[in-house]
Amino acid sequence: MRRRIVRFLAPITIEGRLLTLAAIFIFLYALALTLSPAARARTWEANYRLVHWVGVAVWVGVFYFAHRQSKRHIPDSDPYLLPLTALLSGWGLLTIFRLTTAFGARQMLWLAAAGLLLTLGLRPAPELRFLRRYKYLALTAGLLLTALTLIFGTNPLGGGPRLWLGCCGIYLQPSEPLKLLLIIYLAAYFADHQPLNVRLLPLMAPTALVTGLALLLLIAQRDLGTASLFIFTYTVMLFIASGRKRVLFISLLGLAVTGVAGYFLFDVVQLRVDAWLNPWLDPSGRSYQIIQSLLAIANGGLGGRGPGLGNPGLVPVTHSDFIFAAIAEEMGLAGTLGLFCAIGLLVARGLRVALHAPDQFRRLLATGLSAYLGIQSILIAGGNLRLLPLTGVTLPFLSYGGSSLLTSFAAVLLLLLISSQPEDEPAPLPQPRPHFILAALLGLGLLAAGLTNGWWAAVRGPDLLTRTDNARRAIADRYVRRGSLLDRQGRVITATTGQPGQYQRLYAYPDLAPVTGYTHPVYGQAGLEASLDPYLRGLQGNPAALIWWDHLLYGQPPPGLDVRLSLDLDIQQIADRTLRNHIGAVVVLNASSGEILAMASHPTYDPGRLDEQAAALHQDPAAPLLNRAAQGRYPCTSMLTELFAPTAGLRIFPSTAPNTSTLELLDALGLYQPPELRLPVADSSPPERLPLISPLQAALAAAAYSNDGVRPSPRLAMAVNTPAQGWVILPALGAPVQALPAEQARLTAEEHIVAGEPYWEWVGQDSRNGSRLTWYLGGTLPDWQATPVTVVVLLEEENSSLAVRLGRMLLEETLRP
Amino acid sequence: MSGPLFLVLRILLTASLYAFLGWAFFLLWQDIRQQAMLLALRKVPPISLMIQREGSAAQIRHFNQPEITIGRDPACECPLNDETVSARHARLSYHHGQWWLEDLNSTNGTRLNQEPVSTPTVIISDDEIGCGKARLTVIMAGDNLMPPTQKLPEEEKPA
Repeated sequence: MRRRIVRFLAPITIEGRLLTLAAIFIFLYALALTLSPAARARTWEANYRLVHWVGVAVWVGVFYFAHRQSKRHIPDSDPYLLPLTALLSGWGLLTIFRLTTAFGARQMLWLAAAGLLLTLGLRPAPELRFLRRYKYLALTAGLLLTALTLIFGTNPLGGGPRLWLGCCGIYLQPSEPLKLLLIIYLAAYFADHQPLNVRLLPLMAPTALVTGLALLLLIAQRDLGTASLFIFTYTVMLFIASGRKRVLFISLLGLAVTGVAGYFLFDVVQLRVDAWLNPWLDPSGRSYQIIQSLLAIANGGLGGRGPGLGNPGLVPVTHSDFIFAAIAEEMGLAGTLGLFCAIGLLVARGLRVALHAPDQFRRLLATGLSAYLGIQSILIAGGNLRLLPLTGVTLPFLSYGGSSLLTSFAAVLLLLLISSQPEDEPAPLPQPRPHFILAALLGLGLLAAGLTNGWWAAVRGPDLLTRTDNARRAIADRYVRRGSLLDRQGRVITATTGQPGQYQRLYAYPDLAPVTGYTHPVYGQAGLEASLDPYLRGLQGNPAALIWWDHLLYGQPPPGLDVRLSLDLDIQQIADRTLRNHIGAVVVLNASSGEILAMASHPTYDPGRLDEQAAALHQDPAAPLLNRAAQGRYPCTSMLTELFAPTAGLRIFPSTAPNTSTLELLDALGLYQPPELRLPVADSSPPERLPLISPLQAALAAAAYSNDGVRPSPRLAMAVNTPAQGWVILPALGAPVQALPAEQARLTAEEHIVAGEPYWEWVGQDSRNGSRLTWYLGGTLPDWQATPVTVVVLLEEENSSLAVRLGRMLLEETLRP
Repeated sequence: MSGPLFLVLRILLTASLYAFLGWAFFLLWQDIRQQAMLLALRKVPPISLMIQREGSAAQIRHFNQPEITIGRDPACECPLNDETVSARHARLSYHHGQWWLEDLNSTNGTRLNQEPVSTPTVIISDDEIGCGKARLTVIMAGDNLMPPTQKLPEEEKPA
């Protein structure tokens, strides 16, 4: 029994088994990535992704050879380091392939180079003496290379900080190897100068000078992320070497001072700190990246969208600085917690290697390397999660970038070499506390990142996803059919056409644009498209289980529901034809049920051509985007004095404030309240003042005179076609109100009767800002046997004859049996 | 149909990630277990003390634990009811493959083969420990002597 367990735990066997498990994960990831286009298109006929399998092959080769080397030369090395490296780098490689195939191919070559480094480097290297001996040479070379970027620096992407040295398509970022060289130098220096009675100053002076020099270089280059990483690494190594806790406080203070100074000196720092503290203030500008990152994390939720099914490409530079956001979106909280566990395990094994190291140099070196990997991961993951200000460092092993990958692999190689002599007694450890504290701090950092990830993914996620700058909604609109808007006879007003992946909104009756609005990936939504969005998008009216299932499978809502409106296109056409080339609005209302039969607003626009017209429409002084019928606010003094108020017994309406009984009547007629309707409407006027009203309000008030004094509640969206129950009625939002006694309404209507016709009418004029308005109100008489109707016409011009002609035309068309 | 199948794949993917981590943590646990078992394998060689006090017959006591405190306090592993012995007088402990004797600041001091003990000292069989007026003779059976550390059977390589 005992024999079996011990063989089972032989380090090289552990390494082999863990590598196999990592390979299973990578294989499944690659398989999922291959199938993802089919899942996205919801059909088996799709263009499957295959390129990344080359990357998988390279990955397998790299780690097969690395494992063979370690089996032959250093079989007693730490068995967790290599599998963790394999898991993380394979995961990163496939994520980069998924984001941008060209970058994936390059990263694959870099992985091969890093594999070569591992394979060549994995041989017994007693005491790493050469590193210790040539520490100054190495450091000077690193600093010189970094300094060269000041002169010859380029940026492979074109603009931005010039941190790379490049030639012939190969770019090196010298600050990456500089990290490693600085750690080696510090470890060697501290090990050589380990005094019995530690005094900080002599220990610090030369190292602080060198680190300061490196920092200056980085600051001159504006590589502030790496600079902050240097400060952290230096602090950790000095802390471990000296064992003084005050090092931590001094460094924290220094970092704070540097941060404040940087805030005022560097635009980059200011921008990033502002974006960190107040990202919601400028979501489309300075904090665009971080908001998009949070949206990606929120879209990932608990389980993630699956490889290839998220939209991480919406986050800028997602392959390097924001690869964590991409992973969070596609693998979800479950994936990132696993990622944090893997990083934590790597750091923990590294610190264990440090504790078991046979001399002070290797101990400090291993501590420094583990701390560097841990701190850099926390810095960038925390930056993506808005836990920390954004620092443009890479996520070790995962981010795109050859220099970063090589440096991380070199760090792991050194850790493996340090761990390869377990037979040696560990060096005595005079001060164990700094090691505990460092491990605790790194663990807390990862825990904080995990908790923050949970907060964005699970708690704030659902709210975040409804933000209008979440472009995933627009992408979903291309893949999921949006519901149609139909008129009362089922004729199409607005519908979605095309194939999944290329769905487009078709506006069959563009003149209705101010009412029905638009849905557009850039300009958002307006009108009914906005107010009925939950139904049209399928998030309301569908069974909750279906919505949940579709979100789980595709991260998208189920197919949208059609909505039937109360509009009658025949009547609507008359209004639109007549109003063309005029500015005005028309409302035709069923006076008893409140159903809106026609609602026109002119000038109008074509919502199908927003792409080219949006800017012009926004600046047009005639305001075509405004729905004048429901959102316009017009003076109505003539209407009050001649039509509504006289029945209250007040012939002359006071020009400043109406008296109480009149106010009550006007309020009952709804002139002081916005109509309750699933459509954006104008705000109400404050009481005690003469009301400014919309034509819709006028129509509802007029309806009371055709409907025995009852003001109906308006309705526009009549019914929604649900998959489970067919057409389901959408009830009116408000209730009818007895605005005035039936007899009084009848008297008023008869006072304005049109000779020989079954309806009353009234025409009047008002002025607004010096320009004239024409109001026309008409409606059936109270004793009309069929459906009672009211019509309101408003013209922003002095044109009573047109108003009367249009009003009568609409009434006659509506009353025709 | 592609969606549900993909969901299964996604679940398998996450499961494989946690299989990796779970296996790693299981191995770490196994590692701890193995360390514990290795330590448990290091048996303490039994030690016996022949206690001789004035006015009473010599008596032999056998011990199996790695730490033996000698003193007047009855809670001591080896209590001595003697006025000249302090409450907690001296300690015998087994580490680094040896039994060590150490004085616990006793009033009358501890002697090893008549020499006063000031620092922890290695003892062997037939040594005589003096605590106050009591004398204790160390008896370690020869066949019970253990090598300092034990090799596991598996690490025995054919020579």
